[in-house]
Amino acid sequence: MITAEISPPKGTDTSLMLRDCALLEDIVDAINVTDNQRAVMRLSPLAACSILQAKGLETIMHITCRDKNRLALQSDLIGAYSLGIRNVLVMTGDHTSKGDHEGAKPVYDLDSVQLLGMIRKLDQGFDLCGNELKGRTEFCSGAVTNTILNEAGLIKFRKKIKMGAIFFQTQAVFDVRDFAEFMEKTSEIRSRKVKIIAGIIPLRSQSSAHFLNSVPGIRVPDDMIRKMTDAKDPKAQGMKIAAGIIRELRTMCDGVHIMPIGNHENTRALLEMAGLL
Amino acid sequence: MIISRQKEFHDILQLLAEKNIFIIGCGKCAKKQHVGGEPEVKDMKKRLEAAGRNITGWTVLNSACSISSWKEVLSVNPEIERSDAILVMSCGGGVSVISGFAGIQVYPALDTESLGGVVCNEVVTEQCGMCGDCTIWLYGGICPVIQCAKGLLNGPCGGALEGKCEVDERLCAWDKIVERLKELKKLENLDKINEPKDHMKKGRVKT
Repeated sequence: MITAEISPPKGTDTSLMLRDCALLEDIVDAINVTDNQRAVMRLSPLAACSILQAKGLETIMHITCRDKNRLALQSDLIGAYSLGIRNVLVMTGDHTSKGDHEGAKPVYDLDSVQLLGMIRKLDQGFDLCGNELKGRTEFCSGAVTNTILNEAGLIKFRKKIKMGAIFFQTQAVFDVRDFAEFMEKTSEIRSRKVKIIAGIIPLRSQSSAHFLNSVPGIRVPDDMIRKMTDAKDPKAQGMKIAAGIIRELRTMCDGVHIMPIGNHENTRALLEMAGLL
Repeated sequence: MIISRQKEFHDILQLLAEKNIFIIGCGKCAKKQHVGGEPEVKDMKKRLEAAGRNITGWTVLNSACSISSWKEVLSVNPEIERSDAILVMSCGGGVSVISGFAGIQVYPALDTESLGGVVCNEVVTEQCGMCGDCTIWLYGGICPVIQCAKGLLNGPCGGALEGKCEVDERLCAWDKIVERLKELKKLENLDKINEPKDHMKKGRVKT
């Protein structure tokens, strides 16, 4: 399974988004569409997914708990299904104070565990309060996870599975040993049905490596940063590193998810380097 | 205890459009936090006078949010009736109660932040999320509704960096909850799937 992430535009001009999607069309199984990521306001993932589905692309719609209460979430989910969207990726969502509308009211009416449970109810033909739907949904629901999990994180991981997550997309992996540890730690909790898709971010420079190290749940090992520092062509080095990680992960999990910094112009080359195309 | 902080003096000055101002402090929470007791009221009087305002008088009520007789307040503080506005140095509860009686313009000198407490003389903020449906024992006595920046009821969000909340310098409430439940030997509490809160239980929608 290969998926790739795109961000809807900040505005109504979808041309760059569509150009990115055209680059991915025949090389990925599905395109992930983010939901106001980092709490920066953008075009809605529901609209973006709908546009892409109409072009015949398979999408995974991100849905966060930050911006909508239980009515709006359900309404959007039913709406998404009616527009052909079948895959959703549930997450809490970065806090409003981290984005470009700092003073916005953070909603979090539901948390990600409760949201997964609510989707399961919609799939069974009922809304959250048990009222019958005229036509149910049938979503493939996923959740996100860090690969470096403390006790509290592990408890939540377990709850997400209990409430119906059948795939997980992980935070970007740089240290394959960390990832192996994560797979080991969660092996008893997961059944074979639960698929793990590892996140991949090709490094672009030494500074991008340092920046990513300050992102929760990401750890770029020192030797990797050194390689980036010493590289004559840091972008090429970043691709080489990412391709190496993908090769190593292939036997460990069910798929990879490509989240480049910037656009997808190098995603095909990366997947070729990794032997996936 | 209701946690409040004083507004910026500049902002208070901007509020006070009227000429003759009476100041009311509060002998409960605001006094304990040193934002609305006698010293602070006197200081406010001094600063407002220095800024050219006429302060008709001041008092510190036993509790600004609990007034049994406004008549009695007026009889002890007749200057109130010669004032154009009242500046209240209490939480929003006190400002609201006094506004209901006063019949003249009432301004808040404080901003009300949260429901907290005092531990060994130290003010602790955000202890209760006032959800109207208390389940704090499930979390070892640490309220996730308010102590978790996102109010999450089923575990942490994954945004903490080295144990710190993604929002500010506070520690992740969920790490604290896990530690406390371990101490209490009740970690299994966290296996429970907690349902979304019933917001009908908040006082606000009941009235």
